[in-house]
Amino acid sequence: MKAGSSTPDSTPVRIARRQAHHPRHRLVVALLGLLFLFPMGYLAWGTLSLGGDFWATVASERTLRPLGNSLLIATATAIACMFLGTGLAWLVARTDLVARRLWRVVLPLPLVIPSFVGATALLSAFGRGGLVPFLPRIEGFWGAFIVLTALSYPYVYLPVLARLSTTIPTLEEASRLLGSHPVRTMTRVVLPNIRDTIFAGTLLVFLYGLSDFGGVALMRYDTITRAIYSSRLFDRATSLTLGLVLAVLALAVAAIERSATPRRRLGRGVGREQVRYRLRRFAAPAVALASGVVGVALVAPVGVFALWVVRGSTTVGVGYSGVGDGLGFLLRPILNSAVASVVAGLCAVAVTLPVAYSAARRRNWLSNAASASVTSVFALPGLVVALAVVFWAIQAPGPLAAVYQTFPLLVLAYVLHFGAQSMRASQAAISDVPPHYEDAARTLGVDARRRFLTIDLPLVMPGLITGGGLVLLSTLKELPATLLLAPIGFETLATRIWNAAEDGFFAEVGITSLVLILLSGILTWMFVLRRELRV
Amino acid sequence: MKRSAMLVLLVVLGLAAGSCGGSDDVITVYSGRTSNLIGPLLEDFADSTGIDIEVRYGQSADLALLIDQEGDRSPADIFISQSPGAVGFLAGKGKLRPIGDEVLGLVPREFRNAAGLWIGISGRVRVIVYNRDLVDPSELPASVFELTEERFRDRVAVAPANGSFQDFVTAMRETHGDDTTLAWLEGLVANDARTYANNTSIVQAVGRGDVPMGLVNHYYNFRAKAEDPGVASENYYFPDRNIGSLMIVTAIGVLSTSDVPELADQLVEYMLGEEAQRFYSEKTFEYPLAAGVAPSSVLPALSSIGVATYDFDRLGGGLERTKELIDESGLEHS
Repeated sequence: MKAGSSTPDSTPVRIARRQAHHPRHRLVVALLGLLFLFPMGYLAWGTLSLGGDFWATVASERTLRPLGNSLLIATATAIACMFLGTGLAWLVARTDLVARRLWRVVLPLPLVIPSFVGATALLSAFGRGGLVPFLPRIEGFWGAFIVLTALSYPYVYLPVLARLSTTIPTLEEASRLLGSHPVRTMTRVVLPNIRDTIFAGTLLVFLYGLSDFGGVALMRYDTITRAIYSSRLFDRATSLTLGLVLAVLALAVAAIERSATPRRRLGRGVGREQVRYRLRRFAAPAVALASGVVGVALVAPVGVFALWVVRGSTTVGVGYSGVGDGLGFLLRPILNSAVASVVAGLCAVAVTLPVAYSAARRRNWLSNAASASVTSVFALPGLVVALAVVFWAIQAPGPLAAVYQTFPLLVLAYVLHFGAQSMRASQAAISDVPPHYEDAARTLGVDARRRFLTIDLPLVMPGLITGGGLVLLSTLKELPATLLLAPIGFETLATRIWNAAEDGFFAEVGITSLVLILLSGILTWMFVLRRELRV
Repeated sequence: MKRSAMLVLLVVLGLAAGSCGGSDDVITVYSGRTSNLIGPLLEDFADSTGIDIEVRYGQSADLALLIDQEGDRSPADIFISQSPGAVGFLAGKGKLRPIGDEVLGLVPREFRNAAGLWIGISGRVRVIVYNRDLVDPSELPASVFELTEERFRDRVAVAPANGSFQDFVTAMRETHGDDTTLAWLEGLVANDARTYANNTSIVQAVGRGDVPMGLVNHYYNFRAKAEDPGVASENYYFPDRNIGSLMIVTAIGVLSTSDVPELADQLVEYMLGEEAQRFYSEKTFEYPLAAGVAPSSVLPALSSIGVATYDFDRLGGGLERTKELIDESGLEHS
């Protein structure tokens, strides 16, 4: 905005806003966009060098069927999570739902359960020989649908909750004073206002649905990630080509979503008491809904974990040999998990903020491309992202080479994989900042940097924190990058869970999963929920 | 906020510093066997020799890919694989160096690579795991080829993405030919065999009674029984050296890029010593391959079941073709 700041402030604000970025900011956005293209670059390079035939692979029946399944499960899960996440956030933020504080802490937690553990637990929870034998054991599409929905609705719930806690209540109050029914107020006033945030979360669920392997595979639902995994060693051309298909698909979806969402700014505020509805006769159904979700997504897995711990009391593992055994062997993994996830959350927010800012404020090809690039990585299976980072890092020149399999490179892998989460949350938050605040500041001669620090940042803080929180929870359960790229010997709770699950040491899986859920509860409270409330 | 950020930074630096350094006497192991199945042995070796060991655990296939991608810069000295497929992949890529003759001699020929590039350290036998409440043992087939018969329609679970299953199919190709193998795979599909993600999920599903029986490695049911003694899953070994009860080895190889090949050889030798072989026999319920150690008394003696052995050395590039056949049969979609 160099040109803008030197011209008189009588320049019409609208025109000034359409002006190009500060060139340095443009450069940063361009470089970040490029950075997030590295995984796709690896896939493209691999496809070309191994002679993979992109179109032939895409068009083959062996690809189309699982690809269709992937799109189906991702779409179905995204729609379900959109309703579930938004509804639950509204209940917690805007109604007199019983035990709101409890729900607030408990509802985000299912996001931390690795999908392969969640699927295994749900299979053991319901049906014959299960914890709750009178409910059916569900496999295939519906099984995958339940697992993915149960574990990923927080992608919608958390951002919408943050958004609902900070809207300006004036319009809602007006709507109610005019005698609107609360439901009408919700659909006509509140929902349009927070639509960007809902869509941002829904897109994340969709992309996650495309990328998941463990959950869908255990539910015996055949998707494109199964094809990527099962061909990874002995048919690498196919494996890499299919990865490229996913990446291209994600890019396209991100671009379409971006052009389909109109800009809206209906304003948000802070420090005002929100409208809170009495549920009255809907109080019981509301509690039933929240309990049902938490029951399937958290209580059932926790119950199964506890059962495994008790039942496997004779099991003899390396770290864990049954009930009564100390948990000292988990101290390092707990510390490693906590540090890695918090650092990844902070870094992801910081790294993606310039792109989010530019995507929210300037609609030009550069911001669109950079935003789509960041978004697309999240649709890739973790293993693909990890191998891409290995591919680039291993051929890094000179002193950069020393970074291979160190903590900073691991964090970079997390940021690349999960950056979409923080970017989308930040972007939604930034585009909600009323433009007249900035206009006013600009008229008063405040420069861009100070405008950002004093106006935007405080207003978008809840959004940034939420985005960081999503990355934190995703990192806590991350496996492939941690296994391949962490400093050697660096164990996290997730890698310990994998290690034990791989050979059926279920008591150890159970105890470690319980600790993981507890840790994530503490971390989300410390770093996300508490701060959100304070801001 | 600022103070907590500083704190985090300090911890990070501390961790980073802690992970650097080390002495020259370090063996870096990439292990496809999980820590529960190999960790105590590695620790014991480190304690008794004073040689430091660093381990990276992961899935055998992922670690093989990692080593391949790392090329000349791979930090790994040793690769331990759950099945011959992944280690064969690396051997085929010229990533392994021959193991010394005196070490090779510790294990029978059929359990190692003829060029001495990798060597088996323990054995698992392919079995049918069945639910004793749903299946009468007399119904069980004498040959794995019978599973395509009508009486097994919709009753058999397989894990075609699993390394041991693929190795077994490769062995079937070598002994019975590609046409017979493909016909068998297609027969499974036509007979509504059910596809599962891996061995563990098959054993669990059989234990719960979701599916009456499945093709897995023998060792998983011993784990299932340890976790839940009342579980209804049982192992069935095919008789008469049927290819259905093939012995599949877990394998170890030394990387050609290793800068401590002598130390690595020492570790390979240790894995075939009496102590290690006893560990496989007593703790992980696998078949020991060396040092005259007998299998655990809970396992049937190899001679009594006549387990099929197979020269996995001939595997070479064979797994690409195996993957093609499995793709062609459509087994992974069912």
